[in-house]
Amino acid sequence: MCLAIPARVEQIIDSGNAVVDFGGVRRSISLALVDGVSVGDYVIVHVGFALQKLDVEEAERTLALLAEMNQGAGRET
Amino acid sequence: MTKLITIDPVTRIEGHSKITIRLDDDGRVDVARLHITQFRGFEKFTEGRPYQEMPSLTARTCGICPISHLLASAKACDDLMAVTIPASAAMLRRVINFGQLIQSHALSFFHLSSPDLLLGMDSDPASRHILGVAAKFPELAKDGIWLRKFGQQIIERLSGKRIHPTWIVPGGVSQPLSEAVRDQIVAEIPQAMAIARKTLDWFKPAIANFQDEIDSFANFPSLFLGLVSPDGAIEHYDGYMRVVDAQRRIVVDKIESRDYAKYIGEAVEPDSYLKSPYFKPLGYPAGLYRVGPLARLNVCERMGTPLAEGELADFRALQPEGAVLSSFHFHYARLVEILYALERVAELLGSPDILSTQVRAIANPNKAEGVGISEAPRGTLIHNYRIDANGLITWANLIIATGHNNLAMNQGITQVAKRFVDGRKIGEGALNRVEAVIRCYDPCLSCSTHALGEMPLRIELLDASGEVLDSCERGL
Repeated sequence: MCLAIPARVEQIIDSGNAVVDFGGVRRSISLALVDGVSVGDYVIVHVGFALQKLDVEEAERTLALLAEMNQGAGRET
Repeated sequence: MTKLITIDPVTRIEGHSKITIRLDDDGRVDVARLHITQFRGFEKFTEGRPYQEMPSLTARTCGICPISHLLASAKACDDLMAVTIPASAAMLRRVINFGQLIQSHALSFFHLSSPDLLLGMDSDPASRHILGVAAKFPELAKDGIWLRKFGQQIIERLSGKRIHPTWIVPGGVSQPLSEAVRDQIVAEIPQAMAIARKTLDWFKPAIANFQDEIDSFANFPSLFLGLVSPDGAIEHYDGYMRVVDAQRRIVVDKIESRDYAKYIGEAVEPDSYLKSPYFKPLGYPAGLYRVGPLARLNVCERMGTPLAEGELADFRALQPEGAVLSSFHFHYARLVEILYALERVAELLGSPDILSTQVRAIANPNKAEGVGISEAPRGTLIHNYRIDANGLITWANLIIATGHNNLAMNQGITQVAKRFVDGRKIGEGALNRVEAVIRCYDPCLSCSTHALGEMPLRIELLDASGEVLDSCERGL
């Protein structure tokens, strides 16, 4: 199954686009589907669109869980 | 000499996936494959955890359709507890499931697929995206955003703002619905219906413009699998699994959740990390089947709501003799399902029982194994858990929609590549069509790999020894 990794908003380029960071990988995404995103927010990204804003606590819990999974079960590539 | 063309990754799907197209000695397409890397340790990771944690755990790791995982997981937990949840809780779970379906289908249709449909498969990739659509068809783009938001707001209004709501719980839901929230949703249904209606009225006559794609987009006989209600109507939350063949004859009916493994086998192929489920009675790989919107419209006998019933009749007219076979019609099926979901949400919210405060059954586990099955937007989702005497997970198995469709996607890519790929290079149009076939299935390959580094968009042409004959790169 796919994993939803929270992306941290690093930079708002203009009202419609932002640069986000996925654990070290930066890329540009569209903000067309979410309102009121600012730098430091976490978002779930699908196919280049931020789908939803996450609160920081929620995002950190997910990131902690993913880190645990990465250590425990390993990731196959 | 055999050549290999690799598309890596698929634009706008974004997963850690690549496509290889193998050419024969004459430069004609022999076979094409989609290679998907996904996290395979998840089931193992859940072992030793309390079963009650499974809904939020599975939803947290799949942010694209968290509601689907919450529902299938909660149903597996209901089964472990051996409870029948209150009727109002089941109704509320249905409403949130439709909210998820509407937002997901709207995203797929308007944001991912409409650029291909409206701007043309051969148009400039630099502007072939939703912003390009917004520039030329502002009203349609606005409608798509509004409709997706409506579905998303059903989820948020019912369960709170968080993406991993704890509202869907083993035994039912945690909070009853308030009158105020019901009225907010009901007030917006007419606008949502108008958008669904308008989009169908535009899309249906436009289908004729895509005959080439319809003929070649994974248009082949196969089995279809999906849930139906006890009386054979389309079903997204409960009911039984049914399998029909390409003639739309029922192959197996009324498959109980607990019996899924009698009919669905899971093969592991060496060059993909995604398991390949198949219909066991036909064996692997002959037991290829498809799930999702197209499959659901093919397996059911009726929709059971007035407007969607009429749309099903029109849809069936595409192939009066049997099942609708072209995966291109996943798009059409999504629009019919959006209309259906809106009718059902209106119906459910119109019932006085929806406000009942009896929404949760409380019990300890009473069984050692539980299965929960629901229809996610992309298709049938199966969660199966075993627990020990302390309620800790000892074994888990999840079959996701993208997995069910794995064999069918490969066959679909091969078919379209044979039609549109010619010679030593992939033309822009052919590349777009190969990707567009995959988008029909709207696979959830996304999210994971971005955290982990490799994101090349590379197309390679290889000979039999693996030497690169030609390559090019595309920006996202």
